[in-house]
Amino acid sequence: MGKINLTALRVRKTALNQFASGKINKLPQWVDVVGEIPPSETLIRTPPPQHQLVRQRMKTVAGSSKPQVVFEVQENRRKSKKPSRLFQPLELKYEEDELRQDFFRDHPWELARPRVLLESTGKDHENYDWSRIKQPGKRLDGESVVQRQLWLLNNEPDMTKSNAYDIARREFYRLRLQEDIERRVAAEEAEATGANFGPSHLEIGMDLENQQYEKWKVWARTEAQLFEQRSAALSGAPEIALEQQSEKEETFTEQPDVPV
Amino acid sequence: MIVRKLCMRQSRQLLALNRRAPAYSRFLSTETPVETAVQTPAKESPAPAENPLHQVVQASRESRKLKPRQQWNELEKRRHKFNTLGSAVQESYDPEDILRNPPKPSDITLEMLLAAGTHMGHSTSRWNPQNSRYIFGIREGVHIISLDVTAAYLRRAAKVVEEVAARGGIILFAGTRKGQKRAVVHAAELAKGYHIFERWIPGSMTNGQQILGHCETKVVNALDEELPEFKVDLADRPSVKPDLVIVLNPLENVVLLHECGLNNVPTIGIIDTDADPTRVTYPIPANDDTLRGTSLIAGILGRAGEAGQKRRLEMAAEGKTDYEPITARQLRLDPLTGLPPPGSELEKGQQA
Repeated sequence: MGKINLTALRVRKTALNQFASGKINKLPQWVDVVGEIPPSETLIRTPPPQHQLVRQRMKTVAGSSKPQVVFEVQENRRKSKKPSRLFQPLELKYEEDELRQDFFRDHPWELARPRVLLESTGKDHENYDWSRIKQPGKRLDGESVVQRQLWLLNNEPDMTKSNAYDIARREFYRLRLQEDIERRVAAEEAEATGANFGPSHLEIGMDLENQQYEKWKVWARTEAQLFEQRSAALSGAPEIALEQQSEKEETFTEQPDVPV
Repeated sequence: MIVRKLCMRQSRQLLALNRRAPAYSRFLSTETPVETAVQTPAKESPAPAENPLHQVVQASRESRKLKPRQQWNELEKRRHKFNTLGSAVQESYDPEDILRNPPKPSDITLEMLLAAGTHMGHSTSRWNPQNSRYIFGIREGVHIISLDVTAAYLRRAAKVVEEVAARGGIILFAGTRKGQKRAVVHAAELAKGYHIFERWIPGSMTNGQQILGHCETKVVNALDEELPEFKVDLADRPSVKPDLVIVLNPLENVVLLHECGLNNVPTIGIIDTDADPTRVTYPIPANDDTLRGTSLIAGILGRAGEAGQKRRLEMAAEGKTDYEPITARQLRLDPLTGLPPPGSELEKGQQA
């Protein structure tokens, strides 16, 4: 215990040794396979991949009329330079992270919208062109704004972060409004051609509430009767008792009219 | 209300149901209308039957009073009527596709692995530092496994499976987690191997005579045809051991891997960031918690086994083998002593 067990990695060597010493009288079929395709070096530590944060910008440089592509590289700063931390993996950072954080901080309810996380081929990004915000096969959401903003930052000359944010956001709001209108029109058209959407959530809720209210009315009536009877019995006043009697008769006659 | 295209929409509605026309004066006059009628659609609408939609409209209206069964029938009728309308779904994701038709090892792409979610490791606090060379980076406190490493190791493992299958080796697929059953069985079917989807009974390899002694064994020729005349000679043989074991969840199958080590059997396993990579001969660094990912890897290895078996049978049909076949004499020898059994024809032949 405590030591590394290399039995699994040395199967071929063990088999050859066992054959040489006569423990097994026939080499297994896989010996030459494992010899041709050896297991990898499992326990060698390699330096972890270094991740740089690269920013692409279009800038107008003095002396040239056309804006040029400029790359700004930010090295990932290592937290500790201790030798024991030298082989630890590094944090992955991308430029979108900040943009995403900003957008969802300003629009927290965008996170409540349903989102498709499943990818069928993993090649969805090939169909996307972020020179416009709307993409085929992708629902408009916060990620669209982030990607559009990033595209603007990367490809528009002298674009600032807030400026790109405003442009992307405006396009997003416009499309959201259009979606709302489309949804309303579709509902209207569907109703006109005979669709029946049934009672809404609010109507169902009101119905349930009404039922409970009717139950409560029945319960309250009996409670009130009991209370009156008790008070009458305690006071012992005959006129009150008579009144109560007549009231009781009234309620008996009224009862069929009360919706229960 | 949207004024745009109003006439077109309203006229269509009017055709369908005979309801009261909207108050157009609202749009035409600048003054506020004094009395506005509440628009309620007429309950009974004897609309003309010229409109093809009319029948369906009527049906849907009546369904409010119908019983659930009848409502359902009406719904089905309506669906049947309209199912030619709308758009056709061109390409959709079918989770069964990976099980029914797994890709070949040559089809492995990083995108495919990414879509299957094989790159997600465990929380950084649960890592096994021996896996550091497979890890690409940290994202949101989770280790991300390098997809190119996964692809390379998966191709290597597939090659091993193919070669072992081409040499007639016995391949055992083990995946004992919930939901891995079908993938494991299908991969074993493709590779003409064996499968375990429930618990590995400890000692099945080290104490095989006791645990698997009653199980049936058979002798086959190079074309996989059974040879019943050797049935008698199999009586005292020790239980058959696999030539390659593929484990989809090595964390739960430590005992199996330990027994493979004791019996000197090479193993292939999916190693997540919290697993020990030295437990298996050929690790495949990938996420072992996603069923889609494990199904994909099992399917790819199954396809590799299928290719190896095909190659072996093709060679056997030509009368060649990639391996040294066992002879009839070797089969008839006593498994413990290596000598011919007493009183048999072989013994007489040896003495003479």
